[in-house]
Amino acid sequence: MFSQLWGSMTEEFKPTWEDVAQRYGRKIYNFAYRLTGNPDDAADLVQEVLLRVRRGLSSYEPGSFDGWLWRITRNAFLDGVRKKQRRPESALPEGDHIMLGASPSPDEVLASVRLSDDVQSALLKLPYEFREAVVLCDVVGLTYDEIAQAADVPVGTVRSRIHRGRKMLREMLTWPV
Amino acid sequence: MARMTPGHNERGELFSAYLDGELTRDEVALVGDMLDGDEDAIAEFHAIREVRATLRLLPEFEVPAALLPDGHLGDRLSAYLDGELVSLEYRRVSRHLVDCPECRAELAELDRARIAVRSLPGVDTGMTGEIPVLPARKRRRGLIAGGIAATAAAAVLVLGLGIGGADAPVYSLDDLAARHVARASAEPASAVLPAMIEVSAP
Repeated sequence: MFSQLWGSMTEEFKPTWEDVAQRYGRKIYNFAYRLTGNPDDAADLVQEVLLRVRRGLSSYEPGSFDGWLWRITRNAFLDGVRKKQRRPESALPEGDHIMLGASPSPDEVLASVRLSDDVQSALLKLPYEFREAVVLCDVVGLTYDEIAQAADVPVGTVRSRIHRGRKMLREMLTWPV
Repeated sequence: MARMTPGHNERGELFSAYLDGELTRDEVALVGDMLDGDEDAIAEFHAIREVRATLRLLPEFEVPAALLPDGHLGDRLSAYLDGELVSLEYRRVSRHLVDCPECRAELAELDRARIAVRSLPGVDTGMTGEIPVLPARKRRRGLIAGGIAATAAAAVLVLGLGIGGADAPVYSLDDLAARHVARASAEPASAVLPAMIEVSAP
């Protein structure tokens, strides 16, 4: 991703938090949206991450920028979840309004909307570490190495989590024939 | 749930990583062998490819614009005026100012406000003789508070309200006010602005 671009520039070069916001804001928002299924939580996360980036950039050493950024993002997300769990009325959304396994609509457009709703709802049912690995890989577009750095686990664990996550999704998303 | 054997799991993991381009050359060859004529394996490969493609085709949401910075200089303008930016950021700010009339106008306004505060006349306290003032404050401050705090500190000096330590330098009030007014009138907004931009041009 952008780290390669930044890495090839002069040693002095460091992104400002505005650079990060412009280049990654959308990715961070989509990461949070897919992880929570909720636009408000996604917006909160973007703000929190940009704040942490702004505070943390001075200590960032040129290296894997994606690993650094996504570790911050992930920690901010998990801190947010922990905070919410202390307030019982706002649990993470479960997407229970979606009927998994319902027949596809004859209308093509409706069907595709429903498909992404179904995928979203299935994602929310995955245990966190699998959901995170799949979202970072397929929604954000990180490499296994970058995911390993973000989640602080070995690459082999990432590979296994992505596969098992996809496998669980496949089982949830199979429509009865 | 589909039945799972360790063999299946390992195979699926290889297929999944293959699709992500994360396999070594040897593992790629292994995947080729696994798929050769094995209908079960081929079906599993297609199923994984399908779910991966479905995830990757999820629509991307537009991040609400209010969450992102607007691309202008904001609180860095005051820090720029006060000479508080480090060289790299100074150059970026200067470059932006060359291209952005909006930020230039804001800079000029901030500069006028800054000079207005700095030009506040001294107030006669009725005291005579000499008063102690604080030694010059350390210049490192937060970007937002920097300009305001600096000008407030200057005003305090003029009013003679500083509480000096035992070794604080001693100035006469008249001398201090005169020097301050002289400095403020020596750098009017119109003179400061073009000079700073000129310095910045590459």
